[in-house]
Amino acid sequence: MKSDNINLPDKNGFFGEYGGKFVPETLMYALEELETTYEKLKNNNEFKKQFYKDLSEFVGRPSPLYFAERLTKHYGTGSIWLKREDLNHTGAHKINNTIGQILLAKYMGKKRIIAETGAGQHGVATATVAARLGLECHIYMGSEDVQRQSLNVYRIKLLGAQVHSVDSGSATLKDALNEALRDWVTNVDDTYYIIGSVTGPHPYPMIVRDFNSVVGEELISQSKELFNSMPDAIVACVGGGSNAMGAFYPFIKFNETRLIGVEAGGEGVETGEHAAPLNDGKPGVLHGALSYLMQDDSGQVKGTKSVSAGLDYPGVGPEHSWLKDSGRAEYVAVSDDAALKAFHDVSELEGIIPALETAHAFAYLDILMKEFDKNSNIIVNVSGRGDKDINTVANIDGIKI
Amino acid sequence: MNRLTNTLENLKNKSEKALVAYLVAGDPDIETTLELMMMLVDSGVDIIEIGVPFTDPIAEGPIIQKAHDRALKNNVTLKSIFEMAQKYRENDNKTPLVLMGYLNTFIFNKTLIEDNKNNVIDSVLVVDIPGELNLRDYGVYNPNINTISLISPTTKKDRIKSIAKNSSGFVYYVTLRGVTGASNLDVNEISNNVEEIKKHASVPTLAGFGIKSPEDAKLLSQHSDGVIIGSSIVQMIEEGSQSKEFDRIRTYITDIKKAIS
Ligand SMILES: Cc1ncc(COP(=O)(O)O)c(C=O)c1O
Repeated sequence: MKSDNINLPDKNGFFGEYGGKFVPETLMYALEELETTYEKLKNNNEFKKQFYKDLSEFVGRPSPLYFAERLTKHYGTGSIWLKREDLNHTGAHKINNTIGQILLAKYMGKKRIIAETGAGQHGVATATVAARLGLECHIYMGSEDVQRQSLNVYRIKLLGAQVHSVDSGSATLKDALNEALRDWVTNVDDTYYIIGSVTGPHPYPMIVRDFNSVVGEELISQSKELFNSMPDAIVACVGGGSNAMGAFYPFIKFNETRLIGVEAGGEGVETGEHAAPLNDGKPGVLHGALSYLMQDDSGQVKGTKSVSAGLDYPGVGPEHSWLKDSGRAEYVAVSDDAALKAFHDVSELEGIIPALETAHAFAYLDILMKEFDKNSNIIVNVSGRGDKDINTVANIDGIKI
Repeated sequence: MNRLTNTLENLKNKSEKALVAYLVAGDPDIETTLELMMMLVDSGVDIIEIGVPFTDPIAEGPIIQKAHDRALKNNVTLKSIFEMAQKYRENDNKTPLVLMGYLNTFIFNKTLIEDNKNNVIDSVLVVDIPGELNLRDYGVYNPNINTISLISPTTKKDRIKSIAKNSSGFVYYVTLRGVTGASNLDVNEISNNVEEIKKHASVPTLAGFGIKSPEDAKLLSQHSDGVIIGSSIVQMIEEGSQSKEFDRIRTYITDIKKAIS
């Protein structure tokens, strides 16, 4: 497999052996319609102009690449740079994708928007763009996540969207996706489904990657400007994998940059209680795509465990599976405890409270920075800010707010 | 000859409509499923569709989802379903058995399908693959098991043709936009689409999803070669599983059978 081959997916939606379109027949037409629309619009100048205008004026892009001085001193090896997706409107990278997809929905004349959400960031980002266009919006969220991300639930409601709490299965992100797919099958004629990560059936992994690639594109020019070379490594957390994919994708062709995805190790990968399919899963089919998947020895999808709602998912985007097998990207995992420690450390060292998801990427610096010398430049993708996690962390620390 | 093909041909020769009943293997337990299967056939069911439980059954409504969950709590696997079918065959070697489930289960347990020990299973229906593909395209192949494809109200004409040609056993026409157990049947649309399918398919076309009352069954059987009943049965199984009283199902099936005769 050649790592400079970035013309993927193929026309059937496969990245190597991963990806595809595994959905009930009722959705095939909707996926084809979406693919045709996207292929038509993606190189259309008007469309691109609108997309970048919205990113600039509504989201506040480009997001800065910021030198983390005290964190760099703390490790004493390479320079650490932070890609500040936490500064985006609504507080995470998720808005990049929803800005793009809502334009597709509008072009397709869809009146009703649905989405799934784990941490609530994608729910907020979707409700935000739907409000902006005055479209009816429904957000599916596992009941466990409704509890641990209650702040975002309220934000979604304030934005005029309806939150549907999902009790089935493990009552987390995976089940929210199931329910969103069921809604879509039922209301397919007038409904646009904004998937929130590089997961799901083709063409979603491609579309979400492309819209999020604005992050990696900015990083290329910012790296040149700030340290006059390509970075030695980019580190990003991986749930479904959209913030990582958006940062990685434009760099696939630059072999000098290590691409490192950090999965949720929960109680430790060795305990089986985690959400790290690339570290401890086997290829399988879930939510429309073939990809690494946490499953038991009879082919059932295994329950996951992570302190972070946005990473608490047994699957992963198919392009990451391809990047793993091809060796172009590396995938590691850090535990809940390590992520929580990083959450506190980064807050105190940098004055930035990261999302618990993002804290996983930071936690891996403990290991990674030992591999670099003073002349190297390491980028951490700060996928989101941690306001939404204050209650969770306070609870764990035994503090009543 | 394959039991499914055989049964459908016999029905056709007698100008009768097929009655297919769905239940989830291991709900409430494997022993009861076996008894229920016998009872269904006894009451007039021609073909049994065995739901293979999956953790993430995206095409199912709440009633069947809960049945999958109950079966999974009993640790039902594809392996135990083959063992169950084996037992069933000791008493009935005629009724076609169709497995209905999700792709991951079948590719993960590929050898079970390929072995199909003693030929107990006749057909497999995978809910989450596009209609023009079948298990063989995913590296799972057994020439003695036929693969049923689904066509839905949103399937475009050019694809209806290729799917209809690809399906063996029968074509499963999904009667509505939605999950199992929904209730937004549009008879006009159904009749038009089934007519279109029948132009291209060499096998019968059966209608399923959302058929509840004997009246629904009667209406839809007039536009198809048979009907598939799922959620209503599964609900009655749920309601009867405490007392193990399933006589209502017998009455219900008898009424449906009458309605489509
Ligand atoms: C801040 C933040 N980072 C990361 C993620 C994980 O998603 P992905 O892996 O698609 O970037 C989420 C998901 O909710 C999130 O809110």
